[in-house]
Amino acid sequence: MDLECSRLLPALCAVLVDPRQPVADDTCLEKLLDWFKTVTEGESSLLLLQEHPCLVELLSHVLKLQDLSPGVLSFSLRLAGIFAAQENCFQYLQQGELLPELFGETGPLGQAAWAVPTVRSGWIQGLRSLAQHPSALHFLADHGAVDTIFSLQGDSSLFVASAASQLLVHILALSMRGGAEEQPCLQGDDWPTCAQKIMGHVEESLCSTATPKVTQALNVLTTTFGRCQSPWTEALWVRLSARVACLIERDPIPAAHSLVDLLLCVARSPVFGSSNGNLWEMVAQALSCLGPTHVGPLALGILKLEHCPQALRTQAFQVLLQPLACVLKATVQAPGPPGLLLRAKGTRAVAITPGLLDGMADDAMTVDALLASKSSCAGLLCRTLAHLEELQPLPQRPSPWPQVPLLGAAVTVLRLCDGSATPVSSVGGHLCRTLAGCVRVQRAALDFLGMLSQGTSPQELVMQVLAVLLECLESPGSSPTVLKKAFQATFRWLLSSPKTPSCSGLGPHIPQFLRELFLVLQKRLCSPCWEVRDSALEFLTQLSRHWGGEADFSCALLASEVPELAWQLLQDPESYVRASAVTATGQLSSRGLHAPTSPQHAVARQSLLRELLRILSTDSEGFPRRAVMQVFTEWLRDGHADMARDTEQFVATVLQLASQDLDWEVRVQGLELALVFLGQTLGPPRTHCPYAVALPEAAPARPLTEALRALCHVRLFDFAFRALFDCDRPVAQKSCDLLLFLRDKIASYNSLGEANPNTNSVEVSPWRRWAGEQTQPQEDQEPEAVLAMLRSLDLEGLQSTLAESSDHVEKSPQSLLQDMLATGGFLQGDEADCY
Amino acid sequence: MPEIRVTPLGAGQDVGRSCILVSIAGKNVMLDCGMHMGFNDDRRFPDFSYITQNGRLTDFLDCVIISHFHLDHCGALPYFSEMVGYDGPIYMTHPTQAICPILLEDYRKIAVDKKGEANFFTSQMIKDCMKKVVAVHLHQTVQVDDELEIKAYYAGHVLGAAMFQIKVGSESVVYTGDYNMTPDRHLGAAWIDKCRPNLLITESTYATTIRDSKRCRERDFLKKVHETVEHGGKVLIPVFALGRAQELCILLETFWERMNLKVPIYFSTGLTEKANHYYKLFIPWTNQKIRKTFVQRNMFEFKHIKAFDRAFADNPGPMVVFATPGMLHAGQSLQIFRKWAGNEKNMVIMPGYCVQGTVGHKILSGQRKLEMEGRQVLEVKMQVEYMSFSAHADAKGIMQLVGQAEPENVLLVHGEAKKMEFLKQKIEQELRVSCYMPANGETVTLPTSLSIPVGISLGLLKREMAQGLLPEAKKPRLLHGTLIMKDSNFRLVSSEQALKELGLAEHQLRFTCRVHLHDTRKEQETALRVYSHLKSILKEHCVQHLPDGSVTVESILIQAAAPSEDPGTKVLLVSWTYQDEELGSFLTSLLKKGLPQAPS
Repeated sequence: MDLECSRLLPALCAVLVDPRQPVADDTCLEKLLDWFKTVTEGESSLLLLQEHPCLVELLSHVLKLQDLSPGVLSFSLRLAGIFAAQENCFQYLQQGELLPELFGETGPLGQAAWAVPTVRSGWIQGLRSLAQHPSALHFLADHGAVDTIFSLQGDSSLFVASAASQLLVHILALSMRGGAEEQPCLQGDDWPTCAQKIMGHVEESLCSTATPKVTQALNVLTTTFGRCQSPWTEALWVRLSARVACLIERDPIPAAHSLVDLLLCVARSPVFGSSNGNLWEMVAQALSCLGPTHVGPLALGILKLEHCPQALRTQAFQVLLQPLACVLKATVQAPGPPGLLLRAKGTRAVAITPGLLDGMADDAMTVDALLASKSSCAGLLCRTLAHLEELQPLPQRPSPWPQVPLLGAAVTVLRLCDGSATPVSSVGGHLCRTLAGCVRVQRAALDFLGMLSQGTSPQELVMQVLAVLLECLESPGSSPTVLKKAFQATFRWLLSSPKTPSCSGLGPHIPQFLRELFLVLQKRLCSPCWEVRDSALEFLTQLSRHWGGEADFSCALLASEVPELAWQLLQDPESYVRASAVTATGQLSSRGLHAPTSPQHAVARQSLLRELLRILSTDSEGFPRRAVMQVFTEWLRDGHADMARDTEQFVATVLQLASQDLDWEVRVQGLELALVFLGQTLGPPRTHCPYAVALPEAAPARPLTEALRALCHVRLFDFAFRALFDCDRPVAQKSCDLLLFLRDKIASYNSLGEANPNTNSVEVSPWRRWAGEQTQPQEDQEPEAVLAMLRSLDLEGLQSTLAESSDHVEKSPQSLLQDMLATGGFLQGDEADCY
Repeated sequence: MPEIRVTPLGAGQDVGRSCILVSIAGKNVMLDCGMHMGFNDDRRFPDFSYITQNGRLTDFLDCVIISHFHLDHCGALPYFSEMVGYDGPIYMTHPTQAICPILLEDYRKIAVDKKGEANFFTSQMIKDCMKKVVAVHLHQTVQVDDELEIKAYYAGHVLGAAMFQIKVGSESVVYTGDYNMTPDRHLGAAWIDKCRPNLLITESTYATTIRDSKRCRERDFLKKVHETVEHGGKVLIPVFALGRAQELCILLETFWERMNLKVPIYFSTGLTEKANHYYKLFIPWTNQKIRKTFVQRNMFEFKHIKAFDRAFADNPGPMVVFATPGMLHAGQSLQIFRKWAGNEKNMVIMPGYCVQGTVGHKILSGQRKLEMEGRQVLEVKMQVEYMSFSAHADAKGIMQLVGQAEPENVLLVHGEAKKMEFLKQKIEQELRVSCYMPANGETVTLPTSLSIPVGISLGLLKREMAQGLLPEAKKPRLLHGTLIMKDSNFRLVSSEQALKELGLAEHQLRFTCRVHLHDTRKEQETALRVYSHLKSILKEHCVQHLPDGSVTVESILIQAAAPSEDPGTKVLLVSWTYQDEELGSFLTSLLKKGLPQAPS
């Protein structure tokens, strides 16, 4: 602890115990505890207390005060716990009988303050910190703390109840370790008293008819198996598994959610190698007994396990597929006339049916859930689709993966939602009515469909998927969120579409699809919803980034009005859309994809450049201006800056606009562009990786003086030196990085033997001249003056200062203590006036 | 037994990061998703782990509702939707949807600008989050799904602030968010109809305060600004981009116009244009005065307030500057403050609260020697003023709103425990309504009466209408019909229709009762006496004496008989149909009291 904090501490302790001086900011005590934790991690708590008797006084004082704020009492309990975590300090506090008074029955536990959840929470957290050594275990036993923790498991506060369960697990683990890193005892009968007591309580709770009790016990066990992987946990399971098994036999199964968590946690624990036969039996039974709400997560959890009996995996997968199988069965007709799916897709419908349904009877509970109500049906389908989506990319997913039937199911669900399905049974009819227009299910199905693009699917099916996506994108009823997901799914399917040598990078049917897609995109770019226009532009950017160079793609795109519409959206009233339009047109332009009405590429580029410069200089909002800077930087980096006839002039104009921007992120991007230009003028940055193969230093593109003159000409230094003292830290930091790079570069020039420009003869104008917030452009600087200035700056020092946050002084412990002292009693009345 | 459960994850006995979970008729709704600006780590957000342990968030929550754009009500939204993984619908009003991203973006920029913030959302995340928003109009009933519906009411407080009614079947909860029961310079007062919800969740920031008039504070503010610039000083007003800034701009603009002042006023961020654009766009949300003035002049088109350039801070002479951020912890406002702090002629006016760890907090707590970077000490000689302009309902206003909505129960949030305690007692005593004030993490469970919706056949309603008397909301009327329960559907139809639909024959069911009377006369005479007695009492009913000696009142039949064992006693046999159950019971009890003495 530094001296200033030591000096302030006594006064602070006095303020804390003075009820007339309330702590104004509710975060102060939390931050103070953070600081004490850091301090005690670095030094002895005992020494700390001995050197600062005010701390012990604080702890003893809080017990005597009647009208102390619950916040300060809670803080004191937590603080005492932090100190007592070190055993010698624990003994020290014990000598003064402070700990029993704080945590025993005579303390807050028996007082009116106990009714406040913060105090109960402080008590638990204090004990949680304290329980680190054997002495703590004795203390807990002697003062009946464990019984209190049992009762707090059912606390009215979610936070307190949860913390109590966590604490029990911690004490159990500590007790089993014997308070130290000893070899654990495996026999249940030999377990330490404290552990026996906790286990007895858990066993009793597991047998309870009150569901909350069962839930508490299951949660304690789940946390235990999740956190502790010592051999004793195996003995614990042996002892308790029969009682857990009894729960599965109850009807209805109590605390099903917690039970599923426990079973999966035990199954995941590395402790149970070969001895988990009864676990798998239990899991299998749970799979057949649990209702549709809980069985899905269990099935998914099982399928994610790395080691698990094959029969169980099969059962789990069947359970997971059950709802989709029901949907397919209710909607897809057996061989014969076309059923649910579009007439042309009748053959595929037949092919789908066996895959998911083979040998499976409809599960009555699943059908019930699908039919019970709209929300129950939507909930079940959403969960199932999300579970399968999670499973799909995993290496341990079931093999063979029923890609084709699953695709069929996803398409079917989408058709049920958009009302284009034709049911073949009464259940199907019911599903049609229930799911029509159900955005929630539609979104889940689109997510799942997108994920399925990673698998291999027959070409015919891919086209059908794309067709359904196109319908979804076309449908006037599709909500903005559905459209966004449809765009995402379409992009993923296009990415994975099979490639053939004859048709460039895209599949053989894709060109036709793209033509249709661009027609839809045209419509969506004119949507009255900004969300839709924006998603459409983002989608267009993604497409052109990937396939901008493909002839099929550009052909289809240029045959549409999409490029022109994207251009028009540069004037959109919504700034998000303008920004996306900037990115999209920038991307199209760099691929040479201009609106077909443009006479020539060069002219089109010029006019886009003018338009983007207009946005950069006049747009009232930051997003479009930032997007313009990103486009310009990309253009410059990728060599597309030829659209400006004179690169230096282009850079000069952009830097001048960026340097005057009110948005600091635009200024940062201006510096990024400057850095790219710098790299191109002086050579790329040096690699800083010590393991990289050192390549011989490339010869610079042109002599240093000439290069510097070019940089001066574009007024890069004006911008950089002014930015170095920008009030917005990231700007200053970026500028610092840029100047360091420049200095480094100049040094390498010198090492290559180039003549060092004579700086002695130049009178260095003070660098503050640049930093002095001058807005008027200055005359061109001479390279010599720039070099002299670079040498005069302590860039490393500045860099380390800028690496700190702008409020690091205000956030320091010393500042915290000063604030708490200053605030004591200062603010009254409107302290809660956040807004 | 159905119940409503409420668990605040934030704003339970505190002010900061509002986030309240409501479970109503099996639907789970999150009310607000706020952020605490006092922390740099994940503690700034509500602890969502308590929801995620219930399975996938999007499955568990049916929707999120945001009451208004202040960050302590919406600041965690992009984190929740883009980082924690909620993918369901988010509801807010149109102005909130427009303004929310500006404030989130402003705060993100400040957080990144000052650095040292961990795990913060990006610009793209804010946009993606806003794309999930469904904007609602005032008083528009929005169906979240088949069962859950929500409706927004005007809340005052800030532009677009709304109270929300959440309804499932006949159960409903109203959440006020922050509201103001008195109109201010640009907004009107909160209003809600007599919706009689099962529960009203209300903010209680000023639970114990009867606030002085806002006019006084405004006068004080203008006086201080005016005096300072008159004496050649500069005034710095640190603000967040939107909200209070606009309110104070209107105030100064009007004052400057009236006093014909020439001292420049600047707004530093460049965001003002967009903010003012939204204030213009949502003019119907402002108060009547602004709407009226709008015809001649838009209040948000400022003549005297100009965009600020960094170089202006060094200009000599007086000026007023609005600069962000509002707590003096980074960026422009902090830079200007450093420049101007040393001059006692200057003034800084803090119009809002500052969290610990900021320069704003330090100067508000009276510190005048501030340590700056590199061990430099900044001596603050400029005048420091704190002026609260926040628009919350005070104790009187809260009581007024409770009176307006007539809830069965009240639950207090967004306030301090001690103040809540006072208001709780007041509500319970004066309004005789149960009041709760759970701490964060505590669940309040309210049992509600089971309600089953029943469809009534048009025929039955028409028949009822034909009987005259139009239905009145305040006078419930009895309606007879047959309840048919089929396929989880409940329908009330006329008994004839029910018989027809179900293909059943009608059985006549009659209730009978024996009443013993002490009467030595013959049966016929007793019957006649009964007839006369009933005729005199039941003037509105058709009472008849039939030739066989029996008496009828509507469907009720009364016959007199003499038991052989006691000639001094007569037995009245009363029988009636179930339709006349009420009248039958009445007659029986009337006859049991005996007949009036016959004139001798």
